[in-house]
Formats: sequence, C-alpha cells, structure tokens
Amino acid sequence: MINGWTGKRLRIDLSLKKAWSEDIPPADLRQWFGGRGLNASFFSQHFRSPVSPASPENPIAFAVGPLTGTLAPCSGWTSIASFSPLSDFPVYGFTRMPGHFGASLKAAGFDQCIIQGKADRPVYLWIDDGEVKFEKADHLWGKETTETAVTVQEEKGDRSVEVLCIGPAGERQIPFANVIHRLSWTGDRLGLGYLFGVKQLKAVAIRGKKPVTLQHPKQFLDLCLGLKDQIHKGQKIRKLQEKGALSLLSREERKDTRNDNRWLFPGSEKQWATSLWANLSGWEGCFSCPVHCGRSVQDQEKCLAGIHLEKAWHLGPQIGVYSGEWTLKLHRFCQAEGLDPFLTASLLGRILEGVETGTLSEEDLRQMDEIEDQGERAFALLRRIIDGGKDEFDLSAPPVSENEDLDILADIVSFCMIVVNRLNLMTVSNIIDLMNGATGYALTIQDLQDAISKIRQMESRLQNKKLHWNDQSTLLHLGKGQISQILRKEERRNVSDSYRTAS
Amino acid sequence: MSAISIIPERCTGCQSCEMACSLSHEGSCSSSLSRIRMKKWEEISVFMPTVCQHCEKPPCMDICPTGARKRLPGTDAMVTDEKQCVGCKSCIYACPYGAPAIHPATKRTMTCDLCKGQPLCTQVCTAGALSYVPEGDPSMERKRAFAQTLFHSMKTR
Repeated sequence: MINGWTGKRLRIDLSLKKAWSEDIPPADLRQWFGGRGLNASFFSQHFRSPVSPASPENPIAFAVGPLTGTLAPCSGWTSIASFSPLSDFPVYGFTRMPGHFGASLKAAGFDQCIIQGKADRPVYLWIDDGEVKFEKADHLWGKETTETAVTVQEEKGDRSVEVLCIGPAGERQIPFANVIHRLSWTGDRLGLGYLFGVKQLKAVAIRGKKPVTLQHPKQFLDLCLGLKDQIHKGQKIRKLQEKGALSLLSREERKDTRNDNRWLFPGSEKQWATSLWANLSGWEGCFSCPVHCGRSVQDQEKCLAGIHLEKAWHLGPQIGVYSGEWTLKLHRFCQAEGLDPFLTASLLGRILEGVETGTLSEEDLRQMDEIEDQGERAFALLRRIIDGGKDEFDLSAPPVSENEDLDILADIVSFCMIVVNRLNLMTVSNIIDLMNGATGYALTIQDLQDAISKIRQMESRLQNKKLHWNDQSTLLHLGKGQISQILRKEERRNVSDSYRTAS
Repeated sequence: MSAISIIPERCTGCQSCEMACSLSHEGSCSSSLSRIRMKKWEEISVFMPTVCQHCEKPPCMDICPTGARKRLPGTDAMVTDEKQCVGCKSCIYACPYGAPAIHPATKRTMTCDLCKGQPLCTQVCTAGALSYVPEGDPSMERKRAFAQTLFHSMKTR
C-alpha cells in the first residue's frame, strides 16, 4: 500500500446484492494521481462503447485522490463519473462534488467505489468501515432528502454518518435530479439522481474510521498549516466567505446570464441580494477547508441546511426572480426534491421566457400568465414539471470540457477548483509538495502534465469527440448555448423517445 | 488557567481540527484518532466541536479506578497515563461532555493534552469557532460578541 491511498476499489452489484473489493495496482495510482483519472481509466478499460444510462451495467463511479481525507486544505471534493442521461445518446459524463463524501469513502477504506446493477426493490447501501450491507429502503422511498438522511442516521444510531441520497425527483427518474449529502453538498450536472433512481438506490450511507497514512507526517503538517494560512489570509477569500461563489461572477458574466436584459432593472439585483442576505445565518465548510463558502438559511426561527450562493444566483436573477424569498423557496424545493439547481434554473429560465414571449403557449402553460410574480410563476411551473409526470423532459449534457489544465489538475487530486483555479491561492508546486509529502512520490510538473493530457485523451475517446484545447469553461453557469440546446431538444423529442423505447 | 474556548455557532463542520489533532498526535489523519470531535445535526445546520474541558473538579479523575487520569504540569491539562489506564471506559461515562475517546490501536482512553500550550486545533480553525484563551476569562469573546450585538441593536433603535 502506498501512503495516502488505500489501494482498494469497492465494487457493488445491486442486482446480485454482492459487494467485493479489488486491489488497484500501485502503478495505476501512480499514473492517474486521483479521482478523475481513476474513473476515466476504469471506464476505458471496461467499456468499448457507451451503454444506455438506464441499463444495469452502467456504473456510477466515485473516486478520490491521495490527499482526500487528510488535513490538506480544500481537499474535500469527490470525482464522479457515469454514462449520463442528460443527452439523447449516452455519453461519458463526469462531475465533481464538494463536501464530505469523499473523505468518508477514504476513511471507510476505499479509493474508488463502483456501483453497478439494478435492485429489484428500493435499497440503500450501508458502508461501515469497509463492510457493505444492502438495507431495505421501502420506508424511505418517496421521502424528501432531509427526512431520508435523518432517518438513515437514526436507524444507524450515529449522527456522524454521511448520507448521500436522492429525493422524490430522482426516484421518478427525472434526468436533471441530483444527489445530495449533508443536505447541502450536491453532485450536479450529471443526472446522478436519475442514475440512482434507475438502480432503485435511495441512498449511500458511509461511516469510516480508518486512518489515512502519510509518508512524511511532520513535513505534511507544516505544509498544510502554511497553506491554510496562505488561503485564509488571501484577499479574495473574505469576499468568497461573505458572498460565496456568487462573488466570482464578474460583471460581464452577470449581464450575460440573462437571456436578454428585459427583466433587469436598476437596483433590482441589489434588492434581491439584500432580501436574500437577511435570511442567511451561519456558514458551512467542505472537508478540511479553510474558506467555508456555504451558507445556512434561517427560516422563521428554524435553521435550514445549506445554500450555495451560485445556486441562489441561478434560481434568482438568472431566471428573472428578484425576490429573495422566492429564490429561497425554489432552492428549498430543489433541495428537498433532489433537483439539480443549475439545470432546473436553465430549464425554468427558458420556459419562463417562453411564457412571456408566447413561444411556449401550450395549454398547460397558458394559465401561468395569470400569475403576476415571476418567482411564484417559477415555483408553480417547477411544481407542474415535477408533479405533472413530465419526466420525459430531455436536457442536454452540460459541456464538460475545461479551459485550463489547472482546472483538471484540481479535479484530478480532488481539490477545490475555486481556490486552485479561480483564486489561484494554491500553486501547482504546492500541490506537488503535498502529494510528495503524503505519498512519498517524487513528482515533477512534467509528470502532472503528462497525466492531464492522458486523461484528456482518454475522456475524449470515451466521449467520442475530437479534442478541443480551447473550449470555453462553462462550469460556473450555463450560458446561452446550453439553453438553445434545450429548445432544440424539445423539437427532437419524438426522435429521442423512439430511441429510448428501442434501447 | 488557559482554556480552549468553543463558539459552536461559528463551527462550519469542516473537521480541520480533527485532522490537525490526529496528524500531530498520531502521524496519520482520521477522526477516530482525534482528541477533538465534531458532532453534527445537519438538518438544522448545527455543528459542535467537543473536547475535554479540563474541569476544575474532574469527574474522570474521581472515577478512574487506577488513578490514570492526571493533570499535566504547566498547562494543567487532564490526560490519561497510558501505562496506568486499564481501558475500563469509566471516564467516558463519567464525563458530562463524553469527551474521552478510545484509541483504536491501544484501546486506552485519550483526551486533549492542549499540545504543550499551543493547541493546533485552534490554529487551523479559520471559522473562529475554536480559540485558545490564555490566562483570563475564557468567555470574554462571547461576552464581547454579545455586547456588540446589543450595542448595534441599541444604535439602530
């Protein structure tokens, strides 16, 4: 075993209700450095062509890097990959999830977890320090995410268990449903809720007690303390702490996010922010993170778990909702139902625009005109989508290419890309030092660059497309292209329907 | 006597304190090796670090059948003498905070030793939930925070 890693891959087959662990060859770990690479290499080893997202063999892969679960700052991210339901034809998709899930996976003794198969009845996985149990989840089916997480924790008699679960939206196999843990951290833009729902997997509960060993503990500790200090004292961090990732949206981006500026009137944005801010109370942080950019919501004496302000932006001004209360209501709805706020917002934005311009004047949309408040309209519309059995809504996959190697590097080692790439508070040599301190490798920048280009090649092969080195990053918000794609999807729906039946 | 002051409403649940504690004491990172533990109730966004309070009248010392709970000279920290501890866990049950934990390898209890007067957890807590208050009033920061809130509300009235 190499220090920093556990060297194990957890394989789960829901059809057979079997779980086993495999050794990951040390050479693989050395070659891929972390989550995203491990996932891509697993997929390219096992799949010559994409499989349908609804098929039992479609795996959901979670993987972490050697620094996950240690004191290394901002190392709380998990890489997730699968064949995504968000496009007409199955395509290899990957995403990253902040929070605490990866650290728990590592503590349970695994670097990677692959879930395949399809359960015949609703189940949830209980991974307790390396042991896996398949628990009945009939009583959880239909429950909201909050209730699910709390019920599982109470059943296990330990509130420290991390529960990654889907809500009713995922159960109904809505393609833009997501997974959520600690009621705040979500895995978005991959259709994970759909994938869990198809597999009848309600939740994954993890508790781990295994330590992550390090090659040079003393050196590693000093490095981490220095880095934490460096990040904490960074000028931009204060802003990030106060306003979350919202502070990262530049003026141009903000202008651009509205389809056009019809809804934007002077002062409205400020008014939105003020009414939202009044409802925020505490802070939340990813595992071992010195920034704490998540906020919690105070709702009439009752504290509701986290909100991340870039999500609030998407469910607010981006779709023309300028009332903080309605943004919070929409966010709460997404959180409880297990819906991806980004994709929900881009869908809502499109529909609301359609309602206004009259392009989407279908019978069931007509009555929306009667509602005055844009926020209320959004809420009613979302309700309609979820309750109305329109689970055939087809969304395109989010663009998954990044524009910078640094971004991929952050993803590979499961680091926070905001701190590494957007704010540049951690340099490549810092990351190399941390990796070397933890694992005892003697890495150079060249090694990392090789790994990055190999992973890029592997992923583009999996996605069956040519490599574009200068793709625009669309990680923080979905732009116009995304929305027009959704509209085109609407027109092509019949085609995709027949494809789905055929598959 | 100096003390670790905890302001739970500031805790964000990032577990940095646990990692720093286990890394400096044991050389590896794990919550189960940490002397300080974060407890969470995520549905109400409550996170709470629990750690030995080094009580003036320590129940753990009274109940320990072998006299293994001792006070360290200098910092006055209450620690377990591993040679004398028999692993009976009495101190865990006697402690009103449930602060002592079982070391997974030695099966003896372990508690905070205040890191020779420079607790690492307070250094890594960037949220400001943990601080080491030397010689004086451990609740001074809380009092100050409350006074400030009061002052603001009076000013805005």
